[in-house]
Amino acid sequence: MRSRCLLLWFTGLVWMTNAAWGQYRAKDTEWPSYAADVSGTRYRPLDQVNASNFNKLEVAWRFKTDNLGSVPEYKLEGTPLMVNGVLYATAGTRRSIIALDPATGELLWVHVEKEGERGMNAVRQLSGRGLAYWSDGKEERILFLTPGYRLIALDAKTGLRIGSFGKNGAVDLKLEIDQNIDLITGEIGLQAAPVVAKDTVIIGAAFREGFTPKSLRNNKGHIRGYDVRTGKRLWIFHTVPMKGELGYDTWLNGSAEYTGNTGVWTQITADEQLGLVYLPVETPTSDFFGGHRPGDNVFAESLVCVDLKTGERKWHFQLVHHPLWNMDNSSAPILADITVDGRAIKAVAVPSKQGFLYVFDRVTGKPVWPIEERPVEKGDVPGEWYSPTQPFPTKPPAYSRNGVSINDLIDFTPALRDEARTLVSRYKIGPIFTPPVLSKVDGPLGTLSLGTSSGGTNWPGGSYDPETHIVYAYACNACVSSVGLVPPPNKEFSDINYIFGTAGREIRRTSGPGEYAGADLATAARATAAGRGGAAAATRGGGGFGLTVQGLPLIKPPYATISAISLDKGEIVWQSPHGDTPDAVRNHPALKGLKIPRTGQTGFNIGTLVTKTLVIAGDGQVTTTPEHPRGAMLRAYNKATGREVGAVFIPAPQSGSPMTYMLKGKQYVVVAVSGGPYSGEYIAFSLPDEEIARPSQAQNNVPRR
Amino acid sequence: MKVTIAAVAIAASYCILRAQEGSRTVWDGVFTEAQARRGQEHYNQHCAACHGDTLTGGDMSPALVGGQFLSNWNGLTLDDLFERNRKTMPPGRPGRLSREVNADILAFLLSANEFPAGRTELTQDAKHLKQIRIEATRPVRSDKQ
Repeated sequence: MRSRCLLLWFTGLVWMTNAAWGQYRAKDTEWPSYAADVSGTRYRPLDQVNASNFNKLEVAWRFKTDNLGSVPEYKLEGTPLMVNGVLYATAGTRRSIIALDPATGELLWVHVEKEGERGMNAVRQLSGRGLAYWSDGKEERILFLTPGYRLIALDAKTGLRIGSFGKNGAVDLKLEIDQNIDLITGEIGLQAAPVVAKDTVIIGAAFREGFTPKSLRNNKGHIRGYDVRTGKRLWIFHTVPMKGELGYDTWLNGSAEYTGNTGVWTQITADEQLGLVYLPVETPTSDFFGGHRPGDNVFAESLVCVDLKTGERKWHFQLVHHPLWNMDNSSAPILADITVDGRAIKAVAVPSKQGFLYVFDRVTGKPVWPIEERPVEKGDVPGEWYSPTQPFPTKPPAYSRNGVSINDLIDFTPALRDEARTLVSRYKIGPIFTPPVLSKVDGPLGTLSLGTSSGGTNWPGGSYDPETHIVYAYACNACVSSVGLVPPPNKEFSDINYIFGTAGREIRRTSGPGEYAGADLATAARATAAGRGGAAAATRGGGGFGLTVQGLPLIKPPYATISAISLDKGEIVWQSPHGDTPDAVRNHPALKGLKIPRTGQTGFNIGTLVTKTLVIAGDGQVTTTPEHPRGAMLRAYNKATGREVGAVFIPAPQSGSPMTYMLKGKQYVVVAVSGGPYSGEYIAFSLPDEEIARPSQAQNNVPRR
Repeated sequence: MKVTIAAVAIAASYCILRAQEGSRTVWDGVFTEAQARRGQEHYNQHCAACHGDTLTGGDMSPALVGGQFLSNWNGLTLDDLFERNRKTMPPGRPGRLSREVNADILAFLLSANEFPAGRTELTQDAKHLKQIRIEATRPVRSDKQ
């Protein structure tokens, strides 16, 4: 393993532009943390770009990431930082760190970590989602995680490792995790950005996909805090409790000893004033069968609040008992100071795959509105343990569909509804928390679910406007999937009694995000071991595969929405479909002559940006319409009404959440795009100079309040 | 004015070039059924682990059939799709499948998306693949099957 830093260009860098360098504090014209701040808001009070001029945005610069790695990347999910006159981002299949001139996109430096065998085995490869910035007013550091799960500290000016941090600038995160993990092959990693709050770096954990794991035993995703100056581990929080710790007895038959996963793969949030950290914990091993881990399984699928300095648990709330639906906590908790019935509350709100926005007092952990334990259906999978009740928030109402009923099926015409009804007759359907079933050839093939793996809000999370106390969240409203369980073909494939699969089809290992796709290529033998072999599947030509009706989505529109949810009232203020109507719907012969309002587009990776007046998000799919050539659109909505007020062309879907900043009197909006034929690219938009020169737009870097 | 004329001329040449590039479409029977069957075997071996037996994709890998897939590639040529597959797939071993195998897999993808088979096999030759345009919907005046 060796590290190299290529200092490409440095002279004339713009450090001197910030007069207050000696006491540096990030301004709200900058974007110093993955989600704008460590409160998870994705909000900046900028308004040079607004409803009157959004359509006039033009490309300020582009940065293509193809050569940052041995192969181009088609899944660029990063959100850059912009602080103190430099833009920083993760990029490419090797997850290189780049520093760019935020006015021109010119490369200032690039930092590359080559991890060889360790990189090949990494469970979360590719460019990741971002990085962290820290400064004490003198020194500036960039912190990031390699695909091989090492925490690296760089000098933000040079891109060189900081020798005094950890061991020569690196901390091996496979160590000091209260379990033995092989440094080369051990399963653990992270795509999310590290979070730095005050002087503590907080590190989450992610694993291979949990649909078809090899074993009921796995590494545990404990969460740790590190000293940002030295790289010393300050604390560890056991997401699967150890013997004697609170929650251990919710893992019956000693299952806490061997069950793993239960990490935090999405963004972590912190309250620097209160000194608290909010951990959105994921699903335990395995996603859809919990027979080997009877009990509620605390802290799986819980929101856990811990002390920033010690990692000591302050409170927790389990959102799903004994998880069986892969309702991983997907989204960064959002910190919000709200007023409910005249009472000021320091709140934390968590968007979710299941379309519930869970809102708590972030000091006490008490729900702001009652969350009721309601009885749910008990399944009949042999050996499974079922929680008799699950928590249901009473407010706000669900902002996306989270169960499947006949009424949710396609209804453009009665004939299409009939076809859909016939299709779903082979599946089990029901409301949220309808349990998975054993898959049978004659039916049910599986439980149709919305609001599980790809539904609702996923890793991009939501946004929050601290002035109006409104959360904005994109959600997939029609990402239907079938959850069926089958026995593994043999114990070598998996020692779990039932894994994800469909009766009558070959059982294949489900690969995780970016697995075997990074720059440190896996060997052919290893890739082959990813779960192939066996007889050829009974596939057929014809395009009629999957949960579609004549190629149309099984679930009726809107396919995805952006919702504005008032945290003061616990109510949805507006909901707008997001994304053009897909070509396959707009041009479908069966719909000829029908007037179909914009449907939005299915997808789980759309993040929103909130400014002084706008909500901004790009399409997640490519379309070819009378209004634009093949491509996607970056859209702006009036944040008060949800009405679209502008859109500019992007050549590929938004694949990383947009961010914004002001530099020398100009506002920029940067978004990562990629997918299909288009490899990863950061694109920066800004207004033409003449537009900015208009009297109402002029001024300096200070936003109007 | 001269600039405008030049720009129009360049744009027109480009359009003509593109038209020549894609003078046939995927609706013109550009692969054979036997080739698609071979492609299916290769698909099962090299692609199905991520994209699924039914080509509908997984949580982290895109579907290779249906509206979204076709929208992504609409208006591009088979060479664009061929090269995307050849250079980047399968993950971990990009570029390791031969051009012949890539052509067979492409034939299977076309078949799975209900484009008609014809009498001649899909070529692995870039200059020929560049002449076949991907059209999500059947062109109105297609004179062939």
